[in-house]
Amino acid sequence: MTVHDIRVGESKRGDASDGGADAVGGRLSRVDGPAKITGAAKYAVEQQLEGLAYAVLVESTIASGKVRAIDSKAAEAAPGVLKVLTPDTIISLKTASDWFGTPPPDRPYCPLARDITFSGQHVAAVVAETFEQAVAAAAMVKVSYDETPSIVDLSDGKAGDGIPVDAMTKEWGDAQAAFASAPVRICAAYNTPREYQAPMEPHGLIARWEGDHLTVWEPSQWLDGMARTYAEWFAVPFENVRLVSPYVGGGFGSKALALSHGAVAASAAKMLGRPVRLVMTRAQTFTGYGGRAATRQTVTIGADHDGLIQSIVHRGVNETSIDGMWVEPLGSVTSIMYATPNFSSRQNVVRVNSVVPGAMRAPGENPSAFGIESAIDELAYEVGIDPLEIRLRNYAEQDPHAKKAWSTRQLREAFAAGAERFGWARRTPEPRSMRDGNYLIGWGVAAGTYPVRRAYGEAVVRILADGSVEVESSSIDMGQGTYTILAQTAAETVGVSADDVVVKLGDSRFARAGVSGGSRLAGVMTGAVYKAASSALDQLIGLAIGDPRSPFHALQANTLVVANGRITAPRGDGPDVSIADLLKSVGRDRIEATGDTMPANSTAEDRYKNYTTIAMALPHTEGDYSRHSWCAHFVEVRVDEDFGTVRVSRVVSALDSGRLYNPKLAESQWKGGIIMGIGQALLEEGIVDRRHGRIVNNNLADYLVPTNADIPDIEVISVGIPDLHSSVLGGKGVGELAIVGMAPAIANAVFHATGKRIRDLPITLEKLI
Amino acid sequence: MTKIPVHLDINGRHHELQLEPRVTLLDALRDRLGLTGTKKGCDHGQCGACTVHVDGERVLACLMLAAQAEGRTITTIEGLAREGELHPVQAAFLEQDAFQCGYCTSGQIMSAVACIREGHAGSDEEIREYMAGNLCRCGAYPHIVAAVRQAALEAAS
Repeated sequence: MTVHDIRVGESKRGDASDGGADAVGGRLSRVDGPAKITGAAKYAVEQQLEGLAYAVLVESTIASGKVRAIDSKAAEAAPGVLKVLTPDTIISLKTASDWFGTPPPDRPYCPLARDITFSGQHVAAVVAETFEQAVAAAAMVKVSYDETPSIVDLSDGKAGDGIPVDAMTKEWGDAQAAFASAPVRICAAYNTPREYQAPMEPHGLIARWEGDHLTVWEPSQWLDGMARTYAEWFAVPFENVRLVSPYVGGGFGSKALALSHGAVAASAAKMLGRPVRLVMTRAQTFTGYGGRAATRQTVTIGADHDGLIQSIVHRGVNETSIDGMWVEPLGSVTSIMYATPNFSSRQNVVRVNSVVPGAMRAPGENPSAFGIESAIDELAYEVGIDPLEIRLRNYAEQDPHAKKAWSTRQLREAFAAGAERFGWARRTPEPRSMRDGNYLIGWGVAAGTYPVRRAYGEAVVRILADGSVEVESSSIDMGQGTYTILAQTAAETVGVSADDVVVKLGDSRFARAGVSGGSRLAGVMTGAVYKAASSALDQLIGLAIGDPRSPFHALQANTLVVANGRITAPRGDGPDVSIADLLKSVGRDRIEATGDTMPANSTAEDRYKNYTTIAMALPHTEGDYSRHSWCAHFVEVRVDEDFGTVRVSRVVSALDSGRLYNPKLAESQWKGGIIMGIGQALLEEGIVDRRHGRIVNNNLADYLVPTNADIPDIEVISVGIPDLHSSVLGGKGVGELAIVGMAPAIANAVFHATGKRIRDLPITLEKLI
Repeated sequence: MTKIPVHLDINGRHHELQLEPRVTLLDALRDRLGLTGTKKGCDHGQCGACTVHVDGERVLACLMLAAQAEGRTITTIEGLAREGELHPVQAAFLEQDAFQCGYCTSGQIMSAVACIREGHAGSDEEIREYMAGNLCRCGAYPHIVAAVRQAALEAAS
């Protein structure tokens, strides 16, 4: 009946010229901003519930062994204590499926451990009338152990070489032979330590049972995935579990899955028949779930004297836990960044006594880029070619691994724009050749990339009696700007002001949504909202044209225009009616449309699988194209020659995330990734006590994340163009891209400043003096 | 533990509570009074998310017992806007996009208001230093500096 062209043209680069502030591509301020700056935004565990009880966890103090006994008598007798949960007293749960939806083994699941495989494992929990009573009583629980030797980390003599992960093997040509015969050869090992997401909001939840219905208020990157897990643990129907997560105080990969502390709290709530709140202490957040796995890589490059790569041989290792499996794909950037006729990448995982590591901003791509982007810099110095020039000489014109065309790859443009703005041409190539008094100045460059992870999405859009528009989705906003970009999408599509759109997120009762991770949410959800809003608009115009009571009925028009909340004929020769008046005239109080991007013949089972697992995610190399975001970072460091202290003094990054749905918010996210990358390069490291296998710096004073005083001005430049192979509205991933390549850019700048190549992160002063 | 009467003057309102002496000001605000705008990020004075004003000075509410605040004037993020009008620092945070997830934001804003009042917002360098006690893992720092600079200039003019 009506045709709505997506307003995306070749000229639209996602900058301020891409429509007004209200439209997709505009610089609209966060619509959830007023709630956040006034303290009105209620985060998940801040719900005030009648009869709330408070749970506090007790954790193992050994890294390996068995719990011999738990003496909870004193705790049980302490004032206000309602229950002490131990492996013997907690209710039995069922094992849940994993995030691929793999059917679980039919055996019970106990979130409190008898067999200890890492320090900090939950062994008991105390529930009391007040938080203070629970904290005090938890300190009275005495746990005795039969301790066995532990493997503390990758460098432990007992760790071994690990288990090969065949799925990570990527090979073409004859990499070993080509390396052996190459005239220039470099080989180096690169290490990254355990790193932690450290979102400002600690993990926690409130669980409440009403009969066999469970409501969980919990910060979540994936309501439907977590609801599935809770439903399977407690053997209740999926529909009986409601997850509520209106605001999320940061996740960075750590809040996508239901974790054992959630099972403890929900069990306690069931056992007591009362709502229970359990929030991890900051220390517990270092072991209650996994941070980024420690990694080791060797990168060998064979090249000719002009710096053209002949061969790359890459070997990687990441740590995983004793009884869990985490693979950090270390060859992900290595295999696509540069053109090479011969390539080999293989990876092992090594079991250590740690919590199973997890996703942290750009898992895989981040450490992978540290290896290859440091190594290519080493090659540049070996052959005497500018580090930027060598990247251009080895530019991959297509995906070297998938052998497919890039959907879009504005990396050459990123190098050009970044170099120009940074003033790269003024760089003197020799290490230690730039200086400001006692400070050695270094300029470094590195590239980054992140795949476009795609999935199907769903949304509900309503046009209400007052002419306003409502969007509902169980997706979430943890700071990416979901509320805002979905308001812009609905506003533009229906033809109203963004002020007249209300976006409701973070409740699993709303239209389902897949995981908010892998930088996929914006692309998936703008597509779904576009589709639902288009359908609502079709209905509106259909009513306006076809309903005999409509003031447009006599016009016999084929279509109508909706803009600024008013309906007119295309040539302006008819009535001019507000949406509210039109609905009133045809006797409707609302129009509602559900839109999804699922294939047309999808079954209910397909939909359940799509939203509660990651099994239906679309490969980024599906079809004819390979889809990725790209970036180039240019960094200046100042190194105190006497003390070896490194300060990042300037950053210019040019990034290709395709079309930006809201440049103001995308720039913020890019800068956030860059800043986390500065932390990774210079500050962040989980330090393991080698006697007890404990993370000793499990707090925010000793695990150093960047502070305001660590961060200089950062300039970001968008070089993306709309990429309709990647998403409905032309965007590619934003959130994870910018951290990728920051650590090697800084390491390369430090080499340029000092002549010292640091291959172990973080780059701390003792490694430089 | 015996409860004691505690009288708290928060955002111009008087509250009478019966609290155990070990209850922190932060937990009193969040769990007893429903003033959840003040956030708990670490409970150890390391992150700044719980920054409030006590007698006009910035204080970490997780490191102060509620009983210590007896008889003193407490301002939280909920008390910053006057008659529905945003405080200039709040408005600047929104305009400059000085936050993402929003969890550190209350503390940042309370620190920023005090930072400007203390006379420590004279340069970007000074703002960075005097705002360094408030962590932001989303990495909004450059925009926080811009917001504090903007609000400081407005306050000066």
